[in-house]
Amino acid sequence: MTGRVCRGCGGTDIELDAARGDAVCTGCGSVLEDNIIVSEVQFVENSGGGSSAVGQFVSLDGAGKTPTLGGGFHVNLGKESRAQTLQNGRRQIHHLGNQLQLNQHCLDTAFNFFKMAVSKHLTRGRKMAHVIAACLYLVCRTEGTPHMLLDLSDLLQVNVYVLGKTFLLLARELCINAPAIDPCLYIPRFAHLLEFGDKNHEVSMTALRLLQRMKRDWMHTGRRPSGLCGAALLVAARMHDFRRTVKEVISVVKVCESTLRKSVCFRLTEFEDTPTSQLTVDEFMKVDLEEECDPPSYTAGQRKLRMKQLEQVLSKQLEEVEGEISSYQDAIEIELENSRPKAKGALASLTKDGSVEDTTSSLFGEEDAEDEELEAAASHLNKDFYQELLGGGLPGSAEAAGGPEGGGGPPALESLLGPLPTAASLGISDSIRECISSQSRDPKDASGDGELDLSGIDDLEIDRYILNEAEARVKAELWMRENAEYLREQREKEARIAKERELGIYKEHKPKKSCKRREPIQASTAGEAIEKMLEQKKISSKINYSVLRGLDSKGGAGPRREHARPQETAGARRLSRRKAPASTSGADPVAGVRKRLRPMVSTQPAKKVAVGEQALLPSPPSLEAEPVRPTSAVVVESGPVSYHPEEDADEEDPDEEDGEPCVSALQMMGGNDYGCDGDDDDGY
Amino acid sequence: MDADSDVALDILITNVVCVFRTRCHLNLRKIALEGANVIYKRDVGKVLMKLRKPRITATIWSSGKIICTGATSEEEAKFGARRLARSLQKLGFQVIFTDFKVVNVLAVCNMPFEIRLPEFTKNNRPHASYEPELHPAVCYRIKSLRATLQIFSTGSITVTGPNVKAVATAVEQVYPFVFESRKEIL
Repeated sequence: MTGRVCRGCGGTDIELDAARGDAVCTGCGSVLEDNIIVSEVQFVENSGGGSSAVGQFVSLDGAGKTPTLGGGFHVNLGKESRAQTLQNGRRQIHHLGNQLQLNQHCLDTAFNFFKMAVSKHLTRGRKMAHVIAACLYLVCRTEGTPHMLLDLSDLLQVNVYVLGKTFLLLARELCINAPAIDPCLYIPRFAHLLEFGDKNHEVSMTALRLLQRMKRDWMHTGRRPSGLCGAALLVAARMHDFRRTVKEVISVVKVCESTLRKSVCFRLTEFEDTPTSQLTVDEFMKVDLEEECDPPSYTAGQRKLRMKQLEQVLSKQLEEVEGEISSYQDAIEIELENSRPKAKGALASLTKDGSVEDTTSSLFGEEDAEDEELEAAASHLNKDFYQELLGGGLPGSAEAAGGPEGGGGPPALESLLGPLPTAASLGISDSIRECISSQSRDPKDASGDGELDLSGIDDLEIDRYILNEAEARVKAELWMRENAEYLREQREKEARIAKERELGIYKEHKPKKSCKRREPIQASTAGEAIEKMLEQKKISSKINYSVLRGLDSKGGAGPRREHARPQETAGARRLSRRKAPASTSGADPVAGVRKRLRPMVSTQPAKKVAVGEQALLPSPPSLEAEPVRPTSAVVVESGPVSYHPEEDADEEDPDEEDGEPCVSALQMMGGNDYGCDGDDDDGY
Repeated sequence: MDADSDVALDILITNVVCVFRTRCHLNLRKIALEGANVIYKRDVGKVLMKLRKPRITATIWSSGKIICTGATSEEEAKFGARRLARSLQKLGFQVIFTDFKVVNVLAVCNMPFEIRLPEFTKNNRPHASYEPELHPAVCYRIKSLRATLQIFSTGSITVTGPNVKAVATAVEQVYPFVFESRKEIL
């Protein structure tokens, strides 16, 4: 604070009075600063005579009450919001975690994940409960606890896929690799639920062994781990003479009956192939152990042989089929050669180049089926390709086009073979001829000038889609009957709106405007900054500006108007998005004013603006005492500021988002040192 | 194993989605009344028009934006879109066919071997994500191509991408990784 220049006289001799908290210029006597905040430790005398430091412990998490220094203005509002979110999250995590019986370490880890998520703004637009559940599940996965996503969704009564989506997103954004689930993890848990009594341990071991076999045979990829677990337990139970029905297992494991059956049957069929099925339960246990020692197992080897045989048989069959196909192809081509003259006639009109014709005829040979009608339809379809060919101009390019087109032809034809018969039955062959003949038109590039390229489009067929009068009426009738419900609702809604309009209480339901981040105000002087801020901000309708203006004219303009500002902003506990991020530079005089106002406003931090206005009137008299000095100190601007009455300030909008801690006021105000360094920049 | 060999994999395109604009306001009610192949969804504000020849379904909005789905190739999609515009023209609207763009292509491909999904996921950590509880396939995303592949343990792969080329490139890119984690029948 040394080396500062006085605004009034330009002198550098500035005296700091720590007791009064003033910075005064000794040259002209103008007070440059008032109520300076110092960061010194204060001591208080105890009853015993000793002294202790004044202060509070603040927890690292930000949990606990943050002290509001004389009315929580933007700094504290911002901190509170974020702190509140974290606090809320912590509470919910503990609540859910206790229901899942997670230990403290897991809960702390989950809270860390949550903090990361909040800092990356992943909680925005998502239900807090979903994010919390995702954090908890992430912890479960990394720690390897036997909790399923299904459990969490049960607790929350939320669709498991919704939770899964959130979980996947969280894992991706936080770059955390959740290790894959091992079904073996679930066995103790499910076995306990199935109540095997004394033999619990043995059944679990059997089930584990079964699962390991499944893993070895890679049967378990793509299946729900809980389903595999259920299947293993079911078989293990049977093996130990426990009658556990499928239904019981399902209720414990939470899979569908068919899933379980499939898993179980698959395994059983596999066992059938091996001599294992001939063994008794005890022998199975022993054999299982032996086979585990011997990886290339008997089963696998047999399967390998069988596969080889199958493949050989298949390849042989394939060859035969291919031979048949080629012979058919030749036969078809011969037929076509004979029947071609008719088609050629139609084509001759459009093909000018002989070589082009050759390529097209070869196309024909590849693609056409035996039927004449199909051929006609195919030619109609191939008009497209002709287009390409003709447009190419040169035979060379046409051939090149013909090649890939031919390749692309078959899939197109195949897929269209379905609808083709219907097209043929509509008797479109005439229309096709017509279209073909009309193709002498130059094809224009459709996307170039926006005109519709009509080539290749069958007008007549499209005409058939258009109904005539009588049909239209019938259709309208049908539609009306179908959608009667919806139409009725619409009419009722209209009536309701009309009535409300008459009563004058109709409220337009405007779609929510998305949050627009405004640029921090660039201004050279404080006054300019304030003007700009006022322009950006919208003025409240609850403040009586005429009164304010009247006050302004007295000359206590600056502080009064500023009263309105901080009162509103302080009073508006809801973080209105329309608050301007009055920049750090611009708002400092305002901050200075606010500091002054703190003693008064501390009592009304959460009150609404309307109340604030009444508070305004009693407050000015109290300010009379100290208006003189502050007014001159605040070099704001002359007289009432150019704020426009049309602008709306941040008012309590009923459709304001409630308690959405997305944008903290701190961020909106555009700085995180707001208010703290207000002192320093006053004289810049 | 020779993973670089040119395996002739059949990539079958099952769906091509495209959009285009007609640059003119469309009266949905008129279309709904006079078209034989349309479904009018008034609550949402759109009309579904289905064509037979290239089998496509188009969603028509009154602003003139049209989304066309169900085609099996890019050319077919364009062809269908043009037919659609033509039929709208016949209904009396001043249609201009502009801004045609293929937005999404869905293709299916079959590997001749089965795949071990957990192993595959472990080897391809950032791109692949596998949640057996939610979906039986591995979701492999290629950011550079903006393509997503769903890889099933049976060897079947579903690819979606912005155009046919991207889809083909995606399959080529992922083939070596999938080949590594295949289930050997030996």
